[in-house]
Amino acid sequence: MATIALENLSYTYSSAQTPIFEHVTTQFPAHQFTLLTGPSGTGKSTLLQLIAGLLSLPAEHGQIRYDQALLGDIPATDRSKRVAMMFQNPNQQFAMDTVEHELIFALENQQNDPQIIMHRLTSALDFVGIRNLQKRLLSQLSGGEKQKVALAVIVAMDSDVILLDEPFASVDPIARAGLLRRLVELRDHRGKTIILADHDYAGYDELVDHVVQITPEHQLKMLPQTDWAQLFAAFQPQALPTWPVPSVVEQPLFDLHQVGLSQGEHTLLTPTDLQLHAHHNTLITGANGTGKSTLFEALVRLNPYDGTISYQGRDIQKFRQKRYARQVALLFQDAEAQFFNITVAEELAQSQKYAYSDYFTPARIQAALTQLNLAGRDGQVIYTLSEGQKKKLQILLMLIMQSPVLLMDEPLKGLDLKSIHALVGLLQTTLRETHQTLIIISHQLTGLTPLIDYHLRLADHRLQYGGATHES
Amino acid sequence: MNPSLKLLLLLIVALEISFTNIVSLNVALVVLSIIYLLACRVKLRTLLWLLIVPLIPAIGLWSTQYINGTGQKELMAWVLFTRIYAFVFTGATLTLTTDVLALADSLEQNCHLPSKFAYGVLAAYNLAPKIKHEVQVIRAAGLMRGQTLSFWSPQLYFKAILIAINWSQNLAQAMSSHGFVEDAPRTHYRQIQIRTSDWVILIGGVLLLQVGVFVMPWR
Repeated sequence: MATIALENLSYTYSSAQTPIFEHVTTQFPAHQFTLLTGPSGTGKSTLLQLIAGLLSLPAEHGQIRYDQALLGDIPATDRSKRVAMMFQNPNQQFAMDTVEHELIFALENQQNDPQIIMHRLTSALDFVGIRNLQKRLLSQLSGGEKQKVALAVIVAMDSDVILLDEPFASVDPIARAGLLRRLVELRDHRGKTIILADHDYAGYDELVDHVVQITPEHQLKMLPQTDWAQLFAAFQPQALPTWPVPSVVEQPLFDLHQVGLSQGEHTLLTPTDLQLHAHHNTLITGANGTGKSTLFEALVRLNPYDGTISYQGRDIQKFRQKRYARQVALLFQDAEAQFFNITVAEELAQSQKYAYSDYFTPARIQAALTQLNLAGRDGQVIYTLSEGQKKKLQILLMLIMQSPVLLMDEPLKGLDLKSIHALVGLLQTTLRETHQTLIIISHQLTGLTPLIDYHLRLADHRLQYGGATHES
Repeated sequence: MNPSLKLLLLLIVALEISFTNIVSLNVALVVLSIIYLLACRVKLRTLLWLLIVPLIPAIGLWSTQYINGTGQKELMAWVLFTRIYAFVFTGATLTLTTDVLALADSLEQNCHLPSKFAYGVLAAYNLAPKIKHEVQVIRAAGLMRGQTLSFWSPQLYFKAILIAINWSQNLAQAMSSHGFVEDAPRTHYRQIQIRTSDWVILIGGVLLLQVGVFVMPWR
């Protein structure tokens, strides 16, 4: 029903100099499943927002057509019949409080007759298999459940084209498989056109009809099927080195006693006893949505948990907040969460002012900036840095602080290989002198392994050392 | 009672008692509100809180007036004291017994308020618990960089505003992706009607208030 054609499309963000797309002409065929690929920050989200009409495209910048109709000519009230989008962040895509109210809201917007609303609502929930969630509060659902609700809304609205923007970032593997199965069913039995953007290609090769890449030349390239094997091979489960399992000690850094984690009514971690060790770096791996970040938030007292967590033999709840924050710091996944000033120089000055040790002298900071390719940006406003530059600056700021323990949540996210090597090099030289303890959550392992001493794996609601040597 | 008419009645009451100086009328309103709240099975604990929390501003107003006031100092002190309670308890008859969703529905359908306003407020209301957590995150992130952010730190608000702008953009996109279009007609699954009894209560309530203000020989 809906082939999407891009004609001579160019797009540049008003705040950036370099274009994201330059004179792109391509087609996304109807009733087919297209995987949109490309590293973070290349414009996948922007493209989907343009196709969905959420970003407006000036007329001289090309055209987007649904079959024959120009996107701009489709009345706003009919758009949701044509196209709907599922967003990356499951927490910011609902306006209402409960699942039922959100679906009713969407169906009312489409001006459906109130008589048929409840029928459409329940059949959409049945299709996705979440009828049991109908009356639940959205805020109490897990990431996977929220994305299933988002899909149910799209099914209820019966949109021809379904766009998904990295929808599985906080979805556990079982929920992900369930969602993908429903998407294939929507294509095969209801003739939907599906475009899904992701930077992790695992498991798509058997499902999708097309793979489209965003190239460094700001073009879209349809990848011939003969090239798929090479693309997907990079995302085959890769063998991890086996690290030793640490022995139980008298005075561990962190001692977890019967610690359990949950999200709403969804269990993430069953009660677990575990030790984490000082002056060793521990890597934590596990699939999306299994609760790794929630564990970090519990360790810094930002999330409730069951059981007790002790730091150096003392319950972490008994520390004064300020004192504990000096001991255990968290490198947030979102770099901006860690910035408090306007320019790079101001941020560096603040970290130096409050640092707990004087390891980072001005000379060492300059050297680190050069190493990370951040030198000469002192006066730049942090919010105008690229995502990769923000990440590197954030890590440097937290390193300068020299808190004895640094928890790092996806420190390599959005970094290219060259930056990763520079960063790991900096971490190695610093740790040799300062004996900080790092605990690292990471999907990206290339280049990181030389830093690691122990490996914890979170799977099936259990957190264990060593274990399986394969990681997806 | 229809939520919009209830809101209107309470606004009229609040406006009128702001310009009258009758202690007994304020007390009568508090008593009526308590009876209504009890009839709606509001917990006693909640009522107790409603009595305790306004005590500090009420005493503050009372003593300011009693010490510094001019003219009928003592009367005015008690008028202000009881007026605070009248505001709190009449307000509670709306906030404790009316669902926000029903109020939004009613404002949209009965008062023809723009749906943008009704759903925008509703979406913000539903995000409120997340905002609380986000403020905790900001303060923790500050502490980890050695900076204590108190409730009067401009940096705390700077960060909070940046986050709020970001959220509001995401939410606006999500709402339009769910078919919401500003000022476009919508259908309504939950029909909110204004019944004759609602009008009777509104007009009766306003008349009764006039009796209380102008007719009753309060002492």
